[in-house]
Amino acid sequence: MAINPVDEPSKVEHKMPPVLELIRGNILKYGNPLALTGKEIAAWAQGLNLPKQGDLLFYTGGEYQLLPYIDSLVKTMTVMKPNSATFSLLLGLRNVVEKTGIAPEKIYASVLASEKERFNQVAFKAARVLQTLGYEFCYSGEDELYSGALLYELGYWEDFAQYGQKVLQVFEASKAKTIVCLSPHAAEVIKLLYPQVGLKHDFEVKTFIELVWEKRAQLPRLSTEQTVVIHDSCRLARDLGVTEEPREVLSAMGVDFNEPQRNRAWTTCCGGPNKFMFPELSHTIAERRIEELKCTGAQLILTSCPYCLSSLKQAMAKNPEPGIADFIEFLYEGVVG
Amino acid sequence: MRKEFKAYTREIERASHDENIRKAISRAVKAYRETTAGTFQRYPHTPELAAEVRKIKARSVAQRKELLAQAMEAVERNKGKAFFAKDKQEALLIAGEIIGKDKIVVKGKSMLGEELHLREYLEEIGNEVWETDLGEFILQLKKDRPMHILSPAIHVPREKVAELFTQFFGKEVEPDIAKEVGIVRDFMREKYFKADVGISSANVVAADTGAFVIIENEGNVRLATGAPPIHLVLVGIEKIVPTFQEAMKVAEVTWRYAQYGVPSYVNIVTGPSKTGDIEKVTTYGAHGPKEFYVIFVDNGREEMAQDEAFKQATHCLRCGGCMYECPVFQITAGAFGETYLGGIGTIWNVFTARGLTANAPQIHTCLRCGRCVERCPMQIDVPRMMGELRKRLAEG
Repeated sequence: MAINPVDEPSKVEHKMPPVLELIRGNILKYGNPLALTGKEIAAWAQGLNLPKQGDLLFYTGGEYQLLPYIDSLVKTMTVMKPNSATFSLLLGLRNVVEKTGIAPEKIYASVLASEKERFNQVAFKAARVLQTLGYEFCYSGEDELYSGALLYELGYWEDFAQYGQKVLQVFEASKAKTIVCLSPHAAEVIKLLYPQVGLKHDFEVKTFIELVWEKRAQLPRLSTEQTVVIHDSCRLARDLGVTEEPREVLSAMGVDFNEPQRNRAWTTCCGGPNKFMFPELSHTIAERRIEELKCTGAQLILTSCPYCLSSLKQAMAKNPEPGIADFIEFLYEGVVG
Repeated sequence: MRKEFKAYTREIERASHDENIRKAISRAVKAYRETTAGTFQRYPHTPELAAEVRKIKARSVAQRKELLAQAMEAVERNKGKAFFAKDKQEALLIAGEIIGKDKIVVKGKSMLGEELHLREYLEEIGNEVWETDLGEFILQLKKDRPMHILSPAIHVPREKVAELFTQFFGKEVEPDIAKEVGIVRDFMREKYFKADVGISSANVVAADTGAFVIIENEGNVRLATGAPPIHLVLVGIEKIVPTFQEAMKVAEVTWRYAQYGVPSYVNIVTGPSKTGDIEKVTTYGAHGPKEFYVIFVDNGREEMAQDEAFKQATHCLRCGGCMYECPVFQITAGAFGETYLGGIGTIWNVFTARGLTANAPQIHTCLRCGRCVERCPMQIDVPRMMGELRKRLAEG
């Protein structure tokens, strides 16, 4: 009797998990993954009176501002199972509001961590640091759109290419030549991924830390007691090749720093990228990275990416040591104070 | 797809809390990094050689059809028998035909064997099959699957091994590694000489000479391919390179990145054992096998090579270095993957088994962090390929 050695491939419904579809829908419809309004995302700039046009465009992509929402959503997810209907409901709030009349702000507000203020301030602090160093720049305010990085990450490349056109239109309206990105993910997307999907443009793309580095001679010396350690972001170090700039910025300010064993191009991922799909695994990855950083003996971890900041911060839970700050926050204390 | 995500999420979470995996992997990662750092210092030409091998691999994939024909011709010229199998089913049927039933088969470790479920098939058609690699043997007894392509039983500590052996050998085996190794040695020795067929794969194949190169430390491959009267090689068509000299370069890069330092043995087999010592008459089957068979297996490799976005994945040497650098693998071991493991493994599983949808959870597990590319001697751009797979998942 002949035995048929080939297993029949199981026939499964080809449908993406709802969490992915919702993120996609929100980006396409609202210009950011969590369906916040442009007003919410631009709130930090009130009072700065930034022009809408200029040579240098300050681009937040909304990413730091979204962090507390992502944080609380992921916390909800770990108790709620990411692919459940309730969770989908939560993530798609803005979609729901039209049908049910529930005000998403209220629900978002109830799940918000107390740190909403902290993350909203990151964009403000970045702007103030650059101003103090003598940069003049413009900001698109409520018109600013998220870069679309997650559309690319999750495989919605056609949407990404179309959506990117809208983002580029906002950039063009600013008449800028150079775009400074707070998030290395946004910088990677605009600099490297837009051209890959046919979105050609002439903008020079830089990250916040590169701009600071260019004016490092103007940085004040800091007398800090804390030993710091740099956590290189994967995107910044490997895709954009920015590894020495943050180190030279610290040196210029006379700040001692320790190096983790896995650093620069060999840095360890914070676990952020698969947070939406596998929140527990993502959390464990972040905990391991914290261990690597902690064993350098440093008291403060410095990151340069919103997702690294969010993931690592969560993984430290209630431990006060080491502390964690974004480079932007650290520089603000030293430069603007 | 949702159902698959659920089961997989459970498995990956279980693995991430498994203390055995945690202990074993962190030890293994540390050892890997230390050994390779040391051997890279001792053999500083390694990165340059890897760059050369990248070119050899790219050229070999471009010429794959001629190389396959040349290699098959060389096997026949060397008095072996060469077969080509388009897919898993063909490969198994040919192997089954060569081996038959009621035979004792000793097998070296082979990822292609895992891909084809070769041992299970040969057992089903009525043979006694032994995994001779210690790690694989442990898993054979444990009815478990490999958690690393080179150290398959990386997740099983000595205490667990002692338990398995005590049960299998029917006598008390202490959790002492040397004793555990010893008892398997004695057991296998008898099997090698009783076996009708020895099966191996190959790390690289030279088309010009028909030379099959097999790297190992244990010596099990020497015995399994030397003692039985028949030697059967199953090898993926992507392993063929043009010349013997080039094959040696591929082999050295493979073992260096695979943490061998220097492997105890590098077997080079070109055909059946022969002698001309009596009257210069060539006679086959002197001390080694009298018969030599090779099955070149495609099973999705041609499709991979034809696909511009994935062509580079066929360069994978299976050194396993990327896995040690993968932040997910460091926590879950082989739970991230199926037959082939980790990021590059997921790409291979898509082409050689079960396709895109069934691998969706793994495709979305990859962080696309890119540290595997830093380690990979072939610089395979796994993050980009993962992006492409996600695109195909989302957009069909």
